[in-house]
Amino acid sequence: MSDPSSKRRKLSPPPNGAPGYPTATDQKRSATRNKDGRSAELAMASGFYKSSFFKLQMDELLEGLRPNHASQVAKSQESLHQIKNAIETLPDKTPQSVFDAEKDLRASGLAVPWPEPRPSKEVKYSMAYAKPANINVVGSFALQTGARALELRPIDLAVTMPNSLFQEKDYVNFRYFHKRAYYMACLAAGIQDVANNLGFDVKFSTQDGDSLRPLVLLEPQAPGSSQIRILAAVDPTLFPISRTLPMKSNIRQGFSASSEIGEPTSFYNASLRADATVSLYHKSIYSASQKCESFKDACILGRTWLHQRGFRTAFQNGGFGGFEWTVLLSLLFEGGGPAGQPVLLPSYSCYQIFKATVQFLAGRDLTTPLFFNHEVSVPSGVPVVYDGRRGLNILYKMTSWSYATLRHEASTTLKMLNESREDNFDKVFILKVDEPALRFDRLITIKSFTGETLRALQEQTKLYNVLTKALGDRVNLVSIASDPVSTWSVKSKQPKKSNEGVSVGLLLNAENVGRVVDHGPAAEEKEDSTAFQAFWGEKSELRRFKDGSILESLVWSENSGDSIIHQILVYILQRHFGIVDFGFLGDDYDERLRAYGDNILAYSSPAFQSANEAFKDLETSIRTMDEVPLEVRHLAPASSLLRYTAVRPGGPADVVLQFESSSRWPDDFAAIQMTKIAFLLKIGDALEQAGATASPCRVGLENESSKIINNAYLDIPHSSGILFRLRIHHDREQTLLERSLKDRSMSPREREEAAFALFSYKKTFVQIPRLTQALRSLCTRFPLLSPTIRLTKHWFASHMFTAQINEELIELLVIRTFTQPNPWECPSSVMTGFLRTLHSLSRWDWQQEAFIVDLGGDLSPDVTEHIRTRFTAWRNIDPAMNSVALFVASDIDPEGVTWTQYEMPSKVVAGRLSSLTNAAIGLIRSKPHDLDISELFDTSLAPYDFVIHLRSKLFGKSTSAPKFKNLAESRASMGPTIKSFVCDVQSCYSQSILLFRGDDRCPVIAGLWNPQTLKPRSWNLKTAYSTAPAPGPEDQVSINRSAVINEIARLGHGLIEHIEVHDHSK
Amino acid sequence: MKAGSVEIPGYTTLPVQFPATSLTPEPATHYLYIRPHEPRIPDPDSTRSLFIVNVPIDTTELHLRHLFGTQLSAGRVERVQFEDVPTKKRTAATSTETNTSKKKRKRVTADDFEQHLDAISLPSTWDRKLQKSGAHAIVIFADRPSMESSLKASTKAAKRGTSITWGENLPSDRLPALGLSRYAAHERLQYPERGTLLRAVNEFMTTFSAVSEARKREDHKRYAVPDEDGFVTVQHGPKLNSVAREDEMRELLEKQKKKGEGLEDFYRFQSREKRKERQNRLLKRFDEDKKKLADIKARRGKIRVSTFSSIQSSLANLSRSLSKLVYRSMAFW
Repeated sequence: MSDPSSKRRKLSPPPNGAPGYPTATDQKRSATRNKDGRSAELAMASGFYKSSFFKLQMDELLEGLRPNHASQVAKSQESLHQIKNAIETLPDKTPQSVFDAEKDLRASGLAVPWPEPRPSKEVKYSMAYAKPANINVVGSFALQTGARALELRPIDLAVTMPNSLFQEKDYVNFRYFHKRAYYMACLAAGIQDVANNLGFDVKFSTQDGDSLRPLVLLEPQAPGSSQIRILAAVDPTLFPISRTLPMKSNIRQGFSASSEIGEPTSFYNASLRADATVSLYHKSIYSASQKCESFKDACILGRTWLHQRGFRTAFQNGGFGGFEWTVLLSLLFEGGGPAGQPVLLPSYSCYQIFKATVQFLAGRDLTTPLFFNHEVSVPSGVPVVYDGRRGLNILYKMTSWSYATLRHEASTTLKMLNESREDNFDKVFILKVDEPALRFDRLITIKSFTGETLRALQEQTKLYNVLTKALGDRVNLVSIASDPVSTWSVKSKQPKKSNEGVSVGLLLNAENVGRVVDHGPAAEEKEDSTAFQAFWGEKSELRRFKDGSILESLVWSENSGDSIIHQILVYILQRHFGIVDFGFLGDDYDERLRAYGDNILAYSSPAFQSANEAFKDLETSIRTMDEVPLEVRHLAPASSLLRYTAVRPGGPADVVLQFESSSRWPDDFAAIQMTKIAFLLKIGDALEQAGATASPCRVGLENESSKIINNAYLDIPHSSGILFRLRIHHDREQTLLERSLKDRSMSPREREEAAFALFSYKKTFVQIPRLTQALRSLCTRFPLLSPTIRLTKHWFASHMFTAQINEELIELLVIRTFTQPNPWECPSSVMTGFLRTLHSLSRWDWQQEAFIVDLGGDLSPDVTEHIRTRFTAWRNIDPAMNSVALFVASDIDPEGVTWTQYEMPSKVVAGRLSSLTNAAIGLIRSKPHDLDISELFDTSLAPYDFVIHLRSKLFGKSTSAPKFKNLAESRASMGPTIKSFVCDVQSCYSQSILLFRGDDRCPVIAGLWNPQTLKPRSWNLKTAYSTAPAPGPEDQVSINRSAVINEIARLGHGLIEHIEVHDHSK
Repeated sequence: MKAGSVEIPGYTTLPVQFPATSLTPEPATHYLYIRPHEPRIPDPDSTRSLFIVNVPIDTTELHLRHLFGTQLSAGRVERVQFEDVPTKKRTAATSTETNTSKKKRKRVTADDFEQHLDAISLPSTWDRKLQKSGAHAIVIFADRPSMESSLKASTKAAKRGTSITWGENLPSDRLPALGLSRYAAHERLQYPERGTLLRAVNEFMTTFSAVSEARKREDHKRYAVPDEDGFVTVQHGPKLNSVAREDEMRELLEKQKKKGEGLEDFYRFQSREKRKERQNRLLKRFDEDKKKLADIKARRGKIRVSTFSSIQSSLANLSRSLSKLVYRSMAFW
């Protein structure tokens, strides 16, 4: 063997792959390579860096998204040629006044798409048309940087207007834009016939949502062909760059009342400059794509990423779309890094380019301007990437809020890309992140807030400033979005308003959102306090605080049933904008929880905390028992009440007691149970003597049919009013059960029973206490976890899943939304937590995937791998999913079936869960801003075969809230009785009926017949349901429905009001 | 449901009327399938027994006595054996039954105790048990003629269409009621009297210790007897039970494992092999990933970005409101 180091050198590839080599290095790998020199060879061995699943998926995605350029060219070439010819042959029009020009066009049925303000009749300059200097196909079509299937990919045809039409001073006061609008109108008029013959409708639209720059849109009548957009461009040298610098003022003479002379008109200037740079950017992108092989793919990735986050080129949609991404990439090859170093290298792979750019967006704060070539003075507060050579701030359409949102998304994505545990591919590219209700904690919609671009920009900026100032640190992000005007007929004027208003999304800061008193400046600071008063008006009041300071302050009402955020918004929108009527979404979810959860919102509410204290008290009492011969090792909470996740505090709170191990326990199941009873009796006596109980303790029996499952518990009515239910955990039971499972001499039935006993042992004594422990700390870490879990439980109960789905399962489903929040941040409202949970459920392909939850932060790739192996094993053992349909594992429970084995739920119910969550998400998408949330919770009884209505008397009005419901309700409530009844019916008819039930307050039980039993078939001994002769052949039977209903009625005598039988066969 | 009867070879189908209740205004007909009991391994009782399938869920011994004795006025029922109630008590999986030969020898006394032990049970929490729908029961009559006449009477009743009402005129004081009162009783019975519990526990524990005493004695006796070759097994110290031994073995194994770990990466060939192994693993992972992707593609079609258009099309399939969701996913059953 030769020296291994020389061998290693041979294996190591050049740092970024040889030129021309299909470099598929992803940066993830190269980062780890620096740490561990060996992984490079390993990556090499695994097939030229393509080993990661991420990379494979990305290749697949790109394959699907790369435009099929050749076919598109073939399809549209002919049309493009004809249109180009048509434009070139248009006759020139001599200069004429605005009035005449308009009249002239109106004769051919066209309205000039004047931008606001339209030229007045008196203007001196005249309108003319002349043959374009140049017609070119530009943009993503020509450069092949567009992505298929994401958006309509129009073909851009840039028409360069001849210099002869313009005068030197045309850059001021909209003169350029008026002439441009007229030019577009002439083009539209001129090509109308040709376009119609080619199968296109001619319409106007705006370029980048900018009403200053209308364009002609040729919309194909037949689906399948591409749109053609005709853009206007001018010679780059027509207006000097120095005239359109960001800080120049080009709107004068009080054209617009609000912008005074001298105020910089950066958006206007940049709009103008954008027309002048069409060909320049086309060239520069082209050369970048020639230099760097993976440039096009990186553009496709970027476009996809932006699209999923709702970013488009139009300023209303963030002002950062595919074009801006592409231009930014081309600039980052030249510089942008520290000391002007390029951020990107031509040798990068598309993934590296993507990641480096995301890293750049997340890391580099562009409100500190980034200049290429020249430094100029720029406005503050907005992001600036100033391309000195072309004289344009390429981010000119971005606002402070859209930039904040972009950076937020970029840093979230960066975190996902750096995560080693999961590949996150779906979350970066596939998932649509831009669902308002899933993305933001609160949504505000304001109707009256749109206008033409310049004014809209101004108004929205004001709105943003007011909102950020008013909400302060209660929010982490304020994001405003609106819809750009789409298209309009060439016959009508440019519409002034789009039909939707603006929508504002808020990301709340969970810590500060509930603050009741806001502190302003001190009274002595005259200037500040005047400003404060001016902003807040009569709401601000001077207050003296405990520490002696006298401050301007705001006091919000805490218990008015109206959230503080809403109070602030109502006040501030009225004060600054006179808006009284606005849509507000998000509080309804908290309200719903209050209404159905005993008016409890937070885990820190008295109901939960008193239970907690009672538990601590009980623990002390139990530890100090003298009469019990064994030392107490541990008293563990094991109930949803003690882990803050009970929808309503009620019912007994389970606790599990473990003694120090002793060799004196018998090795026999029945004897262990008897010993436990003896201990329970003893503990009860001891507690009563110690005076820890309100009334005598009672030993209760359970699982009476089995001798190997826990048989007894102790009910302890604690002096605080909480009822505890104590079970004794004896760990020898597990060993004994495992051993008896290995015993070959057992009958299958006994083995099954032992397996079930082991399952039930692990669940009761190991997993529930463990989960409770984990949740107790998680709920403190994520204050919104507890309310979200409770609302989600309420949702499951509303849809009558209570008998089919364990509450622990629901808890795990919600926890993942918090501990693995990608592609969003951790939810900071009940709404996002709840809806994202539904969303993740709707996307969960439970037949093929395991649901893996990170509870304690110990979810390493090894554990994940282990869980996946177990999942595959289960699917191999039970491919028909008769026992395990859902598989939900966590780092503290890698077995994954603790809560779901034995048909909890069965696959029918799991299927219903999927369809319900899908429908819920569909509902949210169809009404993002005006959803009545009770629609999410209403369930229909129509699809069930029969509905058992329980007697309403049993549900006595329990609205009066006794101090500790827990005890009072456990005796009075019919919950346990109804549960027993459902259990009885379900176990009697396990083969033929599926029962659905809501929580304790749900007055109905719904049932379905197993469709198999409804079909006539010949009878045999294994027919495990009540049968009757079926119509048809002699010896055929089917289920005897009327007799079964009669039996149920007898069984539930006194419980049932009436039974409603639906006949779906009709 | 028409009264038309179903012919099942070998069985007599006896229709029984369920009276109308306040909840179900129409009476219903239930069908019992009856035949002589012919188990694969006949026992002395089987010749005088009837095998009844599809007993109603609220069937009790009293019901069947009443049916055959009074309503059909045929035979006297001695007892009824329901499904799910094992005839012999299941032997609990105790630690002693690992060695069968050992068991044989101690039969003399320990078994007697053990039977007694099995008989001690906790009080039931239900005053009336239910049968599973479609379950069967074996009715053992006083003698063979009673059985035969009962079968004949059933056949006759079935043919003539005599209306027999289930549980009609049953003395209500002898049968706990169903419904709410049964559940109320259950909630009461769940918590047995302290005295009852204590008695059961004490009795059990006394018997249990008697069993283990007897067993120990037998063991001693057995070990004292020289085996075929004349050897006597020497016993000393407290006998570890097998569970404890297992634990010990496991610990030992782990210790050894730990010892072995210390010497990793000591020789060059070790690290080289390790590296090789890791490379192989990566290669394998790559193949797995490829397969996984192919799987996903096969399942969902191409990897595609979820866009609004796809959302809209899926929306069209779904009803607009949850309340209108129809659930008939029969394919799953």
